[in-house]
Amino acid sequence: MLIVVDPHSGVPVYRQLMDQIRFHIASGLLTPGEELPSTRTLSAEIGVNPMTISKAYSYLERDHIVERRPGRPLVVASLPNGELRDQKIEQLRAHLTPTVTIVRQLGIDRDRALEILRDLLVANAGDEHSGTADDAAGDTEPVRRPDHAPNEREDQTNHQGEEDS
Amino acid sequence: MKVVTFENIHRAYRRGVDVLHGMEFSIEQGEVVGLLGRNGAGKTTLIRIAMGMIEPQQGTVRLFGLDPREKPVEVKRRIGYVSEDQILPPFLRVEETLALHRGLFPTWDDRLAGELAAQFRLSPREKIGKLSKGQARQVALLCAIAHRPELLILDEPAGGLDPVARREFLETSIRLLNETGSTILFSSHYMGDVERMAGRVVLIHEGHLLLDRPLDALREEHAVALVPHGPRVDRERLLALESCLGVRDRTDALHAVFALEPERARSLLERELGVAGANCRTVGLEEMFIELVGGQA
Repeated sequence: MLIVVDPHSGVPVYRQLMDQIRFHIASGLLTPGEELPSTRTLSAEIGVNPMTISKAYSYLERDHIVERRPGRPLVVASLPNGELRDQKIEQLRAHLTPTVTIVRQLGIDRDRALEILRDLLVANAGDEHSGTADDAAGDTEPVRRPDHAPNEREDQTNHQGEEDS
Repeated sequence: MKVVTFENIHRAYRRGVDVLHGMEFSIEQGEVVGLLGRNGAGKTTLIRIAMGMIEPQQGTVRLFGLDPREKPVEVKRRIGYVSEDQILPPFLRVEETLALHRGLFPTWDDRLAGELAAQFRLSPREKIGKLSKGQARQVALLCAIAHRPELLILDEPAGGLDPVARREFLETSIRLLNETGSTILFSSHYMGDVERMAGRVVLIHEGHLLLDRPLDALREEHAVALVPHGPRVDRERLLALESCLGVRDRTDALHAVFALEPERARSLLERELGVAGANCRTVGLEEMFIELVGGQA
């Protein structure tokens, strides 16, 4: 399991662990039923106090992201249908939120920002097609869905954009 | 169970120059406490008092409930200690140094000692005086933990080590924590190491205890506010606010540290001083350290 701790980021280490494990689950790198390394193993591997690891694990357990069975390793919880999709969206939303702030700080027009995002997605799809699309069933939909909603809004606002330029 | 207790510790070196004034805190079994402070803050003095190497002029120190000056052998057998300026006899070979420590500690674990010696790639026949600084420190660490101490005390253990040696040192300490459940008290200027290791942070400044918090609470429930200079805002007014831990008067703004989440610090500033929308945010340990003990302007 790939976990990278940045002790200097503004985020406490246990939060970083939780975020990364959630991300790995959403991206399909960790699948339901898969075992997580023990507190000791992970602690030794990434050089972090074991208490910090167990804190992260127990919060993930509380949130039903992982399951603890007596005497067995911790495993990734199985997700009800649709839940994985929600988590993907949730992850994307969390990662895009800082971008929204930057767009506002730079005073960039909303449509222009959406255009840039779309261009980046298209350009990226061109040279890298293998990556994340493992679990076919859940994967295609959520990627398209956020695309559709802005599109409709865009149609209405596009005219203003043209007048501006 | 309390492993370490400092009660009202006072220590001055020369007449009038206080090093510690009324230091008071304790450490529970299994805790990992990072002792922070600027050079000269009193960290080493406090650690030496815990080790029974120097005596406080006032106050009591207890390790496992015992006085380290009264029961030095009993206490030291249960402790591992490494300091930056620790000197092992340079004329001894590595194997002789280990044998010496093995004889001192009834709980010495040969298997662990062997594993660590291999991991650190120490050659048994080498004289201590011939080792690099990093290797000498590794021998000291090996001697400090091969008896699986209940308490590990590290005074600037990583000082002067390269990043690889530092990480190895950290990982070895974590291994002891994992396998033996030892309590650890360590002082360090490497905030990244503190963030990885410590569960709790004790910050001392000019001989006073300035802050004693769980690390996560410090990261999540403390905020640095940048408050613009203004007619109703100055250092004293900010310091008078409850939960304000310190203020630095900088040219751009007043930097105030609050024991509050950013949102709550913001509303406190608005309610009490009429400052609207102050920039309040959580910060990492290094920045928090500088805000709390850094100089003015």
